[in-house]
Amino acid sequence: MSTTLSGSSLVWARWSRRLTSPVFWQGLMGVFTFFLVWQIARWIGWLTVIPSPIELAAGVPEEIARQGYWQNWVDSSRRVFAGFAIAAGLAIVLGVAMGMSERFRALTFPLFEIMRPIPPLAWLPLAILFWPSSEATMISLTFVGAFFPILLNILVGIDKIDPRYKQAALSLGSSRGAMFRRVMMPGALPSLFTGLSIAIGITWEVVIAAEMASGTNGLGYMTWDSYMTHSMVGIVLGMLSIGIAGMASSWVMRKIGDNAAPWRRI
Amino acid sequence: MSVSQLAPAKDSARYQQTGPGMGPAGTDDREAALLSAFAEGHHGHSSRFQRLVRNQNTQFAIIGFVAFLLVWHLTTDVFTLPRFNFLPAPIDIFSDWVSTDPKYGVSLFTPIYYEHIFVSVRRVLLSFFIAVAAGVPLGILLGWSRTFYNFVFPIVELLRPIPPLAWVPFAVLLLPGVESSVVFVTLLAAFFATVLNTVLGVWSIGEDYFRAAHCLGYRRVDVLMRIIVPGAMPFVFTGLQIAMGVSWFSLVGGEMIAGRSGLGFLIFDAYMQVALPNIVIGMITLGILGYLSSAGIRYVGKRLMAWQEKGRAGH
Repeated sequence: MSTTLSGSSLVWARWSRRLTSPVFWQGLMGVFTFFLVWQIARWIGWLTVIPSPIELAAGVPEEIARQGYWQNWVDSSRRVFAGFAIAAGLAIVLGVAMGMSERFRALTFPLFEIMRPIPPLAWLPLAILFWPSSEATMISLTFVGAFFPILLNILVGIDKIDPRYKQAALSLGSSRGAMFRRVMMPGALPSLFTGLSIAIGITWEVVIAAEMASGTNGLGYMTWDSYMTHSMVGIVLGMLSIGIAGMASSWVMRKIGDNAAPWRRI
Repeated sequence: MSVSQLAPAKDSARYQQTGPGMGPAGTDDREAALLSAFAEGHHGHSSRFQRLVRNQNTQFAIIGFVAFLLVWHLTTDVFTLPRFNFLPAPIDIFSDWVSTDPKYGVSLFTPIYYEHIFVSVRRVLLSFFIAVAAGVPLGILLGWSRTFYNFVFPIVELLRPIPPLAWVPFAVLLLPGVESSVVFVTLLAAFFATVLNTVLGVWSIGEDYFRAAHCLGYRRVDVLMRIIVPGAMPFVFTGLQIAMGVSWFSLVGGEMIAGRSGLGFLIFDAYMQVALPNIVIGMITLGILGYLSSAGIRYVGKRLMAWQEKGRAGH
């Protein structure tokens, strides 16, 4: 009970500090000016296609209330997390194997280096041909988007481990398992989480494009469908939803990383 | 005697020339490779290529690559496993790519191939330069002036999380013509990457430099040109590399969804026309172009930042 109380008062203290600082109000003014300029441009008649912020604010609740809006969130998130989870699992296994064995790394890493510069979306046609369902196609694309940043960051993390730690572990008679658990894992974990939070951002970008090009539901499709039906409010709502989704997942990933690797230095 | 004294001096001089030239990205193992290559050069007069082939890592890399091609060939051409029979076989792709009379109309000898390349490269370069020309000055202002940062950065943060491809419908409706909307989508992500890294670059400059400049009576222009621009350069170049990568990423999406030409269009069109080898030809071409463009930026960065010590730019 007392912990929750002190917790809430801490949150309150943080907010009151934020509200009294000039930085917060300056930022608010900046954003307000942005919307004001947009609104005035619409009033003057410079913007004929884009609705003004006020029109948007009036139109958004209706769009959200429309049937299937929240289902789009669920569909897109499912694809993102499926592709992301597979990519993370495979990249961690391969990355650790490459980190532990020089030979395996020399054998496989150049292959990945050759494939890495190919943009994930360029895999779309092959994925459509190969996978039996459009769901699997989109998941495989998010996989490609997430896999390389995770793998690279694991390898960077393993390479950055001070060799003296490894030497110390070896001279203390460490087994391979202990080396992995006590040296490799704690050393590479912060970098792994950097990779994961980059990767989840990329998967959102990929899933949006995949849904636009070949989907029948999801937030990307919703945006594209709004374009087809010339609903500007729908397009802007789609963009906002996607932005929020991407930002929230990266934030969650960073928080998990901070908790899982509290020794990380920034 | 004089010869034996001269030789090491020459060695060290040459080694020192290569040392800083390697720049920030030159890793230890590359330098070690250089050193060992140099030592080897004294004993046997083997060429660089021969040394590369004799290197065990290169051999492993080749084995890995050949194994990959073999598996691809076996699964698509020899055994034709279920689902794999929809994929193009490596031999078909290669023979189409180098033939003068390709079955599906795109090869190294057809002008249409270079037209697609030219269109895509032009779009990427155009958006890259717009993004840099707008992003670096904005980043410098944001990093330099705290007040400007407080007012403007929240707007940047408001727009940045929206993925570039979510802007496609917006751009198509708002901008005239396909060309400008593809370029707009391509430059968005590059712009944000450049702005963020430039801000970080300006922040990375030690306060001492600014104080010293004040003491010496620098004008603001001098502070900008002599401290901020060179000081922020390493981060700016990191940003440029990221920007180039995301440019290609968004370009492919933009061309697939809204384009009428370019490599992204080539890939998607090949899918529509069931010209399977062209899909992979387009992908490989994109990979090569993407690699070359980031290698180009790395090279320019090394050249511009030859003064940099190795230790400082740890990225």
